[in-house]
Amino acid sequence: MTGEAATRSLHREVPGTRASAENPPAPGRPERAGRPWRAGGAEARGAWILTAPYLVLLLIGGIIPVGYALATAFQRPSTPLQPNGGFGSIESFRTVVTDFRFAETFLNIFTTLLVWLPIMMIGIVGLALLVHASPGRFGSTMRFVYYIPGALAGVANLVLWVYLLNPSQSPIEGFWHVVGIDTIKQAVATPNHLPFILAAMMFFQGVGSWIIVVNGGLNGIGDEVLEAASMDGANAWQVAWHVKLPIIRPWIGYAALMNLAYGFQLFLEPQLLDQVAGNALPDQWTPTQLGYAFAFSNYNFPAAAAMSLILLVITLVIGLLIVFRSGLFGEER
Amino acid sequence: MAAINTRGVENWTAGRLARVATMLLIAAVFVFPIVGFIAMAFRSNAGVDAGAGGVLGLGDVSLGNVAYSWSQVNGFGPGGGGLFTRWILNSLFVAGGGAVLALIAALPAGYAMARLRFRMRRVILLTTLVTMVMPNTVLVIPLFLEVNAIGAVGRLWPVLVIMGFFPFGVYLSYIHFMTTMPRELVEAARMDGLSEVAIFYRIGLPISKQAVVLVGFFAFVANWTNFFLPLALLSSDQQNNTLSIGIQQLIGASPLFNPTVAAGLDVKLYMPQLALATFISMLPLLVVFLGAQKYLIRGETVGAVKG
Repeated sequence: MTGEAATRSLHREVPGTRASAENPPAPGRPERAGRPWRAGGAEARGAWILTAPYLVLLLIGGIIPVGYALATAFQRPSTPLQPNGGFGSIESFRTVVTDFRFAETFLNIFTTLLVWLPIMMIGIVGLALLVHASPGRFGSTMRFVYYIPGALAGVANLVLWVYLLNPSQSPIEGFWHVVGIDTIKQAVATPNHLPFILAAMMFFQGVGSWIIVVNGGLNGIGDEVLEAASMDGANAWQVAWHVKLPIIRPWIGYAALMNLAYGFQLFLEPQLLDQVAGNALPDQWTPTQLGYAFAFSNYNFPAAAAMSLILLVITLVIGLLIVFRSGLFGEER
Repeated sequence: MAAINTRGVENWTAGRLARVATMLLIAAVFVFPIVGFIAMAFRSNAGVDAGAGGVLGLGDVSLGNVAYSWSQVNGFGPGGGGLFTRWILNSLFVAGGGAVLALIAALPAGYAMARLRFRMRRVILLTTLVTMVMPNTVLVIPLFLEVNAIGAVGRLWPVLVIMGFFPFGVYLSYIHFMTTMPRELVEAARMDGLSEVAIFYRIGLPISKQAVVLVGFFAFVANWTNFFLPLALLSSDQQNNTLSIGIQQLIGASPLFNPTVAAGLDVKLYMPQLALATFISMLPLLVVFLGAQKYLIRGETVGAVKG
């Protein structure tokens, strides 16, 4: 959420730059050939001055909060009798993991991912291939049109979906009628509907920017490769399946992992859908909502910290996989 | 590109027809709800109730409806309302300020990592990459604990500072200097006696308009639409909400979803009013998009050509 849809669209610059690794740009070379590195010299001093503002923000926005969350997670929650808490060992992790909602929130995420990820990946790859097979203005217009919903990020996307999901004024009122749904509460809170609704919402919001990313990868395939395939008698389907798809595998892996990580932080959609459905949904449907409840409903900060650390570790593992295994950030290793 | 274009002269085969039809159909599915939603912002409550206006209610739109809806949206809040305007200003402050801070931090850091050699360079770069690909919401509760520890929950400035931490901007700047500023240029400037910091400000920065626009654009958009961070840090003070969490309050005050709360309010927030509030909240994004468009397209061309 939160504009990542738009943010992601620029990642095509990542592939764009990486794909030229076989033919590295001139500035990359002197890395090895340059003069010997004088550690601690003027160059290093200048580097530290230039990175200082960023490092301060990295501390404030990343490292200190994680450290502080670690420290908090090992405290006891403060109570009126014991306002200072004190060292609580792994008690807060036990509180979180044994909470009756804990396993369920992850189950909900897995169910949603099970519905959403395949649709998302097929949508991204399929549409990117279709766009790539459409030369000229038609293809680029379609690519832009698919991206438009991505501009409605976060709350805006939610309000749009409230408009679609509320049968009383929905433009797809007829559809709701056919499936026998008369209120938004029914639409959202009927058992097993939520993963599908979330999948639809996230697909609508996210697919466009990923089409641009994967399309960037497809544009990197040399014309001579495609021409050779055509001359060998391959039709459009065969070219897409046997030539294009294997080449863009790193981008597909990158998209899959980024979207997987994205699934673990679901918060806004279930939280606000609950609100428009008259609290008919479980209040803590996702792990992030559960962490939020620990902090803001129970005021159990150690448990909230423990919950966010668990999520942090999961997304960190996915993040490391993306950086080291996707093959798109390989230059730095 | 030229070679791709020559493939465009193929005939209207069944396969091509199917491809174009599929793509148009999907485009229609994407555009249809958005058109209806924007029309909703211009419709009347009575018209929506009666299902007036034909296809997507397009016949029901008028500027008079917008004037009424605005009076309701901006009438929300204690003592005659005005909260919505205040939220717009708050959002501009944290999202704009956060983007400026991100720029101030990201460009020199990206330059240093691309063109200077120093200990920890790889560590900082890897940390940047990993934090960039992780969803930013996982850090919100730790951030809340941090801000709570210094007693600044409910204040706008901590949100602005946290939004200034934008690793994606650092990565973009890094790529920018890797591709546009040859190492030879840095070496030549050193020969001329410029200090490392001066090389960045006198040579690196002036050729970085594109990077400035891209980093500023993406930072602003991410900040503007950020929901979870303001929710955790600013919910406690209604005056200091941002638009994203403010709209959540409007939804919560709508008679459509919360009749009991809505009954106690002077304003009535039905779907046209909620759609208008959302539509207004998107206008700044439209403005920055139009401003950055030229550079976004150029960036894309670069990506396409290089890729």
